[in-house]
Amino acid sequence: MSFSLLSQILVFLALIFTVFAFGRKLKIYAQLARPVDRAKPKGDLQKGVLYAYTLGMAPWSKESTRLHALAYLRGVAFHVGIFLGLAILVASPWLGEMPQYVRNILGFVIAAGALLGLLGFVARFLEHNLKALSNADDYFAVLIVGLFLAAEALWLFFPAARVLFYLVSAAMLVYAPLGKIRHCIYFAYSRLFYGRFIGSRAVLPHSQQNAR
Amino acid sequence: MTTTKIDIALNLLNQQLNQPLTAALEVCARCGICAEACHYYVAEPKVEHIPAARAESLRKVYRSEHDLLSRLFPSWTGAERLTEEKLAEWADIAFNKCTLCYRCTINCPMGLDTPLLMTSLRAIATATGNAPEVLEMLADAAIEKGKDPEIYLGFYKESIKDMEVELQELTGNPDASIPLQKQGAKKLYVALAGAHTILPVAAIFETVGEDWTLSIFEAANYGIFLGDASRAKAIARRIVDEAKSLGVEEIVISECGHAYYVMRWVAPNWFGDEFTFRVRSIVEVLAEYVQDGKLKLDPSANSEPITYHDSCNLGRKGGILAEPRVVLQAVTNDFRELTPNREEAYCCGGGAGLVALPEAYDLRMMAGKPKADQVKRSGAQVVVAACENCRLQLGDLSGYYGLGIGVTALTDLVVKAMRLPGNQKTVEHIMTLETANSGEHDNAEVWGSTDLVSLPSTKGDRSEPKSNV
Repeated sequence: MSFSLLSQILVFLALIFTVFAFGRKLKIYAQLARPVDRAKPKGDLQKGVLYAYTLGMAPWSKESTRLHALAYLRGVAFHVGIFLGLAILVASPWLGEMPQYVRNILGFVIAAGALLGLLGFVARFLEHNLKALSNADDYFAVLIVGLFLAAEALWLFFPAARVLFYLVSAAMLVYAPLGKIRHCIYFAYSRLFYGRFIGSRAVLPHSQQNAR
Repeated sequence: MTTTKIDIALNLLNQQLNQPLTAALEVCARCGICAEACHYYVAEPKVEHIPAARAESLRKVYRSEHDLLSRLFPSWTGAERLTEEKLAEWADIAFNKCTLCYRCTINCPMGLDTPLLMTSLRAIATATGNAPEVLEMLADAAIEKGKDPEIYLGFYKESIKDMEVELQELTGNPDASIPLQKQGAKKLYVALAGAHTILPVAAIFETVGEDWTLSIFEAANYGIFLGDASRAKAIARRIVDEAKSLGVEEIVISECGHAYYVMRWVAPNWFGDEFTFRVRSIVEVLAEYVQDGKLKLDPSANSEPITYHDSCNLGRKGGILAEPRVVLQAVTNDFRELTPNREEAYCCGGGAGLVALPEAYDLRMMAGKPKADQVKRSGAQVVVAACENCRLQLGDLSGYYGLGIGVTALTDLVVKAMRLPGNQKTVEHIMTLETANSGEHDNAEVWGSTDLVSLPSTKGDRSEPKSNV
């Protein structure tokens, strides 16, 4: 069996493990109670939820992201890179015939994501607060995801790097449900609860703030 | 003994693990972007004052109990077993280092509900005997009084009669009254202890011809500070039962942030279908009166530069952001906003019961520094706060930082702008009482007096309240 085939099998198994592990976590999570808010809303709950997922994530929408605009945008771009990178990974068996110039464009985007991720890794070492807040899992999570993007970019530029790309991807996929990376599956819920809170109480968006 | 406390804590943590709490425990990426959202951190930029760092104390234990990787390699994820020392640390964090202001949540890219985690810690601290005794005592006293209000009712009615004389002087109406236990009234007004939360509102209600009655209970709810749902529910139950028995259409809560928060947003989830009435803050009612033209107000009556402090419970956690400004625009020509304001406003530093803890004075003076700086920058001479807790804290901040400001309630400004016949004498007296709390003193005493049956008259000195607890 060739290394190439072995790496494909490995990444496929890792992907199955990740989907299963995340699915199980979500199933357990769904079984937890979700409190029903019986207080009569002052504002519009749906507007709040919509805001939480859209404009509420804009860098200018809150003080923290205005103060830390560069760090925030770095994080957003890194995460956009991750989602694009995952999509490319899943589609990779069918991307072999793609023209090289398309691969190069994707490669630059993914490489940028990798660079921003690795910058985040360095920032955790250098910034006092970040360093104090971080544990080994935090460092490893951002490192493994950054390496995943870097390996993918390498493969996009040089198709011969497929084995390396798949091996790093498999490692990242296996680690994802175990460590800090799993925060991704709770993100949507957290924003949902936040959106319901600010919406039903007419705190945000500002258009809801009416004395009537 | 130690094992028992830890078992209680872990059991309670597990019982509380619902979807919102689990999401709050799992979603933090420890990006640290929440640091400046916290007034403690702004006042003292230390790692321990970063909301994520505070919450991490709970997360470490959560991970050691619920995460496979953390159980296998605890040092990898920073997981820690729960110890008695950690329980004490949790109590300190939850009661002294966080005022549940929700500002970190508004500023978190994840929308992470750190106050929910802190409330969970408060509940655990209370269940394991680590909660501040003052808060427990106040909560239990309120519950005890609610069991048999008849004991105090006679004295309470006498106090109200005295207050009616002042109301008649103020309004110039010899028939003006403060209705108590009026069956079928539209509004049940729930005040705090002290005539200063009753008389101005009575004057306003009298002027607009409102159909109202005064609650025999106080609005304050110390159970919510403890994170103790059973105590908080028992305290709220008194008011719910009173509203039901009188058949009122709505409960109007005095200018009190946490009391409004409990009755408006939390209590409906405890009582469900029993909640046949709506709940509003007096601030919302005032805004309605202003917009409907029911109050004739003279803005020149309040000539000093005035600013408004958004109480976290009313504003960021309650959506009462436009209403106070509608009222303020009508009662003064010199209204100045603090920066930042509304949902981005800083907590005063005394919220969530901190102002009632005598031992927390230095801490809350430190935590209130961002607010004091804001007030100083505004150039205002009067700060309006629609929350008793905030007013006490702002008065203390004024004394501590030499701000030289007056601190007042919104209703007081409204009454002043109404230019009632007895305005000059009575309203100035009320405002004197409002600002009497400036400087270092024992706010637990002020809070401890929050019993309507021991109402200090406006003729007395509110800084020396009497309590019959």
